[in-house]
Amino acid sequence: MTTVALTPGQLAAAGPRFAGWHHRHLIDVDVLTWPEIELIMRTTDEMKGILARPIRKVPALNGRRVTTLFYEASTRTRVSFETAARNLSADVVSISTATSSVTKGESLVDTIRTLEALGAEILVMRHSVSGAPYLAAEVFGGHVLNGGDGWHAHPTQALLDLYTMRENVPGGDLRGRKVAIVGDILHSRVARSNIWSLTAAGADLWLCGPATLLRGMDRWATAWSGGAVPGHGRFNVTTDIEAALRDADVVMGLRIQRERMQGGLLPSMREYAARFQLNAKRLSLAKPGAIVMHPGPMNEGVEIAPDVAISGRSVITDQVANGVAVRMALLYLLAGAHEAGPGEPAR
Amino acid sequence: MSVSEGTRPDAALGPMVGEVVARFELEKAWLVDPVSGREGPGEIVVMDGVLESVVWLAGDEAAGVTDRGVVVAPGFFDLHAHFREPGFEDAETVATGSAAAAHGGFTTVAIMPNTQPALDEPGVLARIHSASKASGSPVEVLAYGAVSAGRAGEQLSAMGELADAGVIGYSDDGSPVRTAKLLRSALLYAGMLGLPVVDHAEDTELTGGAEAHEGYVASVMGLAGWPVAAEVNAVSRDLAVLADALRDEPRARLHLTHISTAAALDLVRWAKAAGLPVTCDVTPHHLCLTDEWIPGSRRWSWEALAANGTARDPWVDGALTAWPYDTSLRVNPPLRTATDAAACLAALLDGTADAVATDHAPHTVVDKEVEFGRAANGISGIETALGVLLALVDAGRLPLARAIAALTTGPASVLAGWPATAGTSAARPRGLTEGSPADLVVFDLGESWMVTPESLRSKGKNSPLIGRELPGRVLLTIAGGRLAYEDPQSGTSNSNAAE
Repeated sequence: MTTVALTPGQLAAAGPRFAGWHHRHLIDVDVLTWPEIELIMRTTDEMKGILARPIRKVPALNGRRVTTLFYEASTRTRVSFETAARNLSADVVSISTATSSVTKGESLVDTIRTLEALGAEILVMRHSVSGAPYLAAEVFGGHVLNGGDGWHAHPTQALLDLYTMRENVPGGDLRGRKVAIVGDILHSRVARSNIWSLTAAGADLWLCGPATLLRGMDRWATAWSGGAVPGHGRFNVTTDIEAALRDADVVMGLRIQRERMQGGLLPSMREYAARFQLNAKRLSLAKPGAIVMHPGPMNEGVEIAPDVAISGRSVITDQVANGVAVRMALLYLLAGAHEAGPGEPAR
Repeated sequence: MSVSEGTRPDAALGPMVGEVVARFELEKAWLVDPVSGREGPGEIVVMDGVLESVVWLAGDEAAGVTDRGVVVAPGFFDLHAHFREPGFEDAETVATGSAAAAHGGFTTVAIMPNTQPALDEPGVLARIHSASKASGSPVEVLAYGAVSAGRAGEQLSAMGELADAGVIGYSDDGSPVRTAKLLRSALLYAGMLGLPVVDHAEDTELTGGAEAHEGYVASVMGLAGWPVAAEVNAVSRDLAVLADALRDEPRARLHLTHISTAAALDLVRWAKAAGLPVTCDVTPHHLCLTDEWIPGSRRWSWEALAANGTARDPWVDGALTAWPYDTSLRVNPPLRTATDAAACLAALLDGTADAVATDHAPHTVVDKEVEFGRAANGISGIETALGVLLALVDAGRLPLARAIAALTTGPASVLAGWPATAGTSAARPRGLTEGSPADLVVFDLGESWMVTPESLRSKGKNSPLIGRELPGRVLLTIAGGRLAYEDPQSGTSNSNAAE
């Protein structure tokens, strides 16, 4: 069991490479080993302990500078990161594209160099283009923590999802547990990061949605069908909502965006709701104790029925609360990480 | 190898680019002559810019000379390059592009008309010709005219005037010829003028917003997919329109450039068998690189091919060694799978692909040091084309003679059968022919070179091969009897490179 150092001194004393963590950046779940994911889960436990106290603040990152750079609108993720950073006593600078030089055409690389010159140490970044945090990490001297990039990855969401599932699944072990993710898989960074973490956890993962919003996923599932990737099992892709939900332990809905209809991918929201909405009737196919999740923001009445969202099965608000703890854990781990030495992974 | 010249007073400085090669002798090298189909040990002598003698050696004289050392081949001809002038001189100019071409062994380059303004009227061509002359480089710069005015896909460009001024064909490259109707007109009109239409086959309806080849890699990387169907659809359209146009204008002819998918190559194979006057080229990067380079693999396409002919999984293999989302890999058409690359090679071997063309597409750092999905499409490839093909040769997958033919007689044959306009050499045979102006490249297969930003003469440093060793250092390029490139290390030293 790792003990979290709660002061900057303890953090420094923990050394350049403590507790099995050596990633300078966290951009995707794909580079994490299972022991590293376990470490994040344990560190999150400790952070939850801090959040349970009357005063939810520790000095672990006192004086460290966290900058959030969001190129896409976001409420919960951004507030979650900033709350997490403040709980660790970090100084937080918040940049949004609407108020920065980005609107004057400044390139991402120039923006990153400027933020570094201004003292940013940990950069939390959200961007609409897949892979953008890798570009940032190439030029940034500090740590990059991905807050979501394009369709590619949303590692903190996947990790908080995993944490929340482990809290709610009897025994806290996802091996063999059926997890169904339903919705717009094609455009979802949440789904992609969850594929890595949930297959690593040994879950029986099912991705479900209309065929137009599943494109390409079957090729991925097929590539892994032999359980070929070390530590990563196979997953299933289906358009059959009943097959996906039957005997599920965990059911997660993903947001359906109105743009998808303009893009010719869906006939109507109404038709989506009729065929794929997570409603009480469909959820009766899942196991009696199954939990319902959603990364938000929700379109209630489209991908999820309002009564389901607030039902006793819903752990959606737990996800939000756990998000702060997971992000505290990752900020903490990254702040203690050193630059990769020769022969060590750089990311 | 020694190059001596008599036209300059201070011979110690060595011959300079653009000067007539007064005397150059090479003993005991491996000669490849794709016109005669002959290769083997031999010697050449260049005198006053003329290939004075070509001697094939046999017996004891040939002892020790192999196809793994110094090779002499006719100067290469690139059917597809972008020199960016006028309009984008910060990315490349005719002068820097010509220097890059010569470094890559090319003595003739056909450049695309997607300049600013577009090459859609003779004035732009005159400007390019004058820039070529001013550069001092003997590399011959040929050009395609735009199919449509302003490359806008609406009206035909000044096709007849462009033909009179010396274009070698028409293309809206960068974009496909926008509509089937416009393509039909272009094929008819160009056929009347005795010139081909070169199409970049892409159904842009299917590729809007696309970032990478649609498949496993793009799915994992969260990149918008570039479907195979977009190329197949466009090639089908082009072939159907060509078949129609031929009924009205038997001289109509189509060249499909940078075909990248197995399915589209099958269509071309079928069309050729059916007798349609269509030719096509493939690029070095589609032959040898794959989409798995985007997550960070750096193995050649054939190394990424499983025994059953499908692409291996770089995540499974632990093949991901480089930083992901390198924008130098963003190119149109996109890097495909190992299966597609193998199909490109098969097409080159069976003649479905007539030529290798580089699609040299230099870009500035400003256009490339951005998010992957926002980066300009293109690879700076004219200097690495030979090395990449030689990697295939080294791997035993492509005979040296076929590689050379794909860079010489292959491209020439695409334009052959047309009356040479304005004195261009596009359709000349490209052999090692005694008595003709010396037009050749000398490279050493025994010596590799490191691709670095500094080693590239092109302004475009957007090469995914930077940091990689490539086989076959180019030692000397002579274009039209004049010096185009000389390796600074072999330089004026009088060492015999055949040793």
